[in-house]
Amino acid sequence: MKISKKIYLTTFVNLGLIAVIGMFAIFSFNQISTKFKFTIIADKLNASFLEMRLLEKNYFLYNDKGGLLEIQQKARETSVTLNKMRGDIVKAVGRDKFLQMQKLLQDYSKMVALGIKNNKKDAWTKKEIRLVGQKLKSYSENVTALERQHVWEIITKTSMVMRHSLWIIMIFAFFFSLFIVRSIRQPLHRIVALTKTISKGNFQKIKAKPPANEMGAVIIAINSMAEELSKREKAIVQSRRLASIGVLVAGVAHELNNPLNNIAIIAQTYSEVYDKLDKEQHIGFMAQVEEQVERLQKIIKNLLDFSKPKEPKLAEKDLNEVFMHSLELVQNVMTVANVQTRLQLADTLPTIYIDEHQFQQVLVNMMINATQAMSSGGELIVKTGYIKDKDAVEISITDTGNGIAPEFLDHIFDPFFSTKEDSGTGLGLWVSYGIVKTHKGRIKVKSTIGQGTTFTIIMPTSKKYKEEANEQV
Amino acid sequence: MSKYNILIIDDEKIVCDMMKLSLEQEEGYEVESFLNGTEALERLKEKKFDMVVTDFKMKGIDGLEVLRTVKQLYPKTAVIMITAFANLDVAIEALREDVHDFFPKPIKIKDLKESIRKALP
Repeated sequence: MKISKKIYLTTFVNLGLIAVIGMFAIFSFNQISTKFKFTIIADKLNASFLEMRLLEKNYFLYNDKGGLLEIQQKARETSVTLNKMRGDIVKAVGRDKFLQMQKLLQDYSKMVALGIKNNKKDAWTKKEIRLVGQKLKSYSENVTALERQHVWEIITKTSMVMRHSLWIIMIFAFFFSLFIVRSIRQPLHRIVALTKTISKGNFQKIKAKPPANEMGAVIIAINSMAEELSKREKAIVQSRRLASIGVLVAGVAHELNNPLNNIAIIAQTYSEVYDKLDKEQHIGFMAQVEEQVERLQKIIKNLLDFSKPKEPKLAEKDLNEVFMHSLELVQNVMTVANVQTRLQLADTLPTIYIDEHQFQQVLVNMMINATQAMSSGGELIVKTGYIKDKDAVEISITDTGNGIAPEFLDHIFDPFFSTKEDSGTGLGLWVSYGIVKTHKGRIKVKSTIGQGTTFTIIMPTSKKYKEEANEQV
Repeated sequence: MSKYNILIIDDEKIVCDMMKLSLEQEEGYEVESFLNGTEALERLKEKKFDMVVTDFKMKGIDGLEVLRTVKQLYPKTAVIMITAFANLDVAIEALREDVHDFFPKPIKIKDLKESIRKALP
């Protein structure tokens, strides 16, 4: 479900709850107000009834006929009031109680009228008037008390319901917020972690099926960005490889010259001695030519292999061997530049888990850089060794060039940073850095102005690499 | 007729072999060849050669050093330098050291022979 939908839905649920409680409160207040209105009316009626009964007492005490007329007058007025208030009273206490009250009042009026008409103070009429009057007063008072009781109950109930509802809404809102925060935070954390790894040059994708919500859309966007970046990185790596080839070709041209020169000499000598050769010797000459052609093919194959883009394929490799293959490619560039090599390779090394083709690119790039740093010749010192406590293998490539200024040293792995005035694209070391990093290795650089620079690559052994990979899983 | 002693120095064995074979086709040439400058200079100390043909670019002692040593030991011995890449600096340096001739690769044996013939008395 979309996160926005979740938020809408829960907000609506919350609003619904509040509305229900609100309506309940309004209903309760209406009820209270109705009942309250009634108690005011009832108080008035009760006061009237009380007055009538006082008059009634006076009549009985002083036998004043005028008193009865007064009662009759008061009862008429009260009846008018009662009828006027009929709606409110019926609403508050119901029709039955109203009719009962009206009937009692009518009975009382009748009895009073009878008293006036008969004008005799007979015991029966007296008794009846008193009886009905008592009944009327106590009934009205009872009803009023009952309604007061009702009002109190409604207030108590409403207050309780409001209190509980408030708790329910608060708890619901709390858990809902928690739920929303969780449903946003969890994928967000994953996305943050992923973008961090992407920014480090590791263009992996989120493999799990993206959820069908906004986070899913972000994940899909990031995935396609990672894919695009990975494509572009591949293109850059390849363009760097081709740039290295530009340099290598100069060396290769020289390297081709030797076997070509050999073939030329063989051919010229062959034609000179042709007549003097027996069959075996003819074959011998041709075999020599073939050998030189094979040498040419090998040189060209090396260069082509290096230039071709290849799908990365990790395998256990011996660093010394990979280095020697790379050296073959660069050897002639160094020969032309009058750079001597001094190799101090460890006798045996644990294997490293690398893509040989990519790793060769790193070493070639480092050696070309070193050679270019020694414009008037020099020495390239290469050491390999095993670092026991880190379970890693290292290779250091040292030149005796001019060195790198300390202010540049922090930037040499940045893209587009170059100190070579004309030839540098500033991507070589950046690409190398990326390749080493994706192989879980590190590059270090140390440089002294006027003495030279040492690049050291530290790679985990195959064993360590796989252990780390397992840990990550 | 006296024999001429020719010394060939080249780190490619096939070059040594072929040049030796080709030069020995000529009347009166006696050829020795070495794959590196160190061994060749040892031999030069023992024996005087009339002509030295050396590659310029070699591991260890290079062609220029061979030229200098030869000129020190035997100023009259002619030296021909062969180089894979025509580098003006190298050429000037070699001329200063009184090189007899300078050949870029791939070499024409006919021209080389012609140059040798001219150099020998």
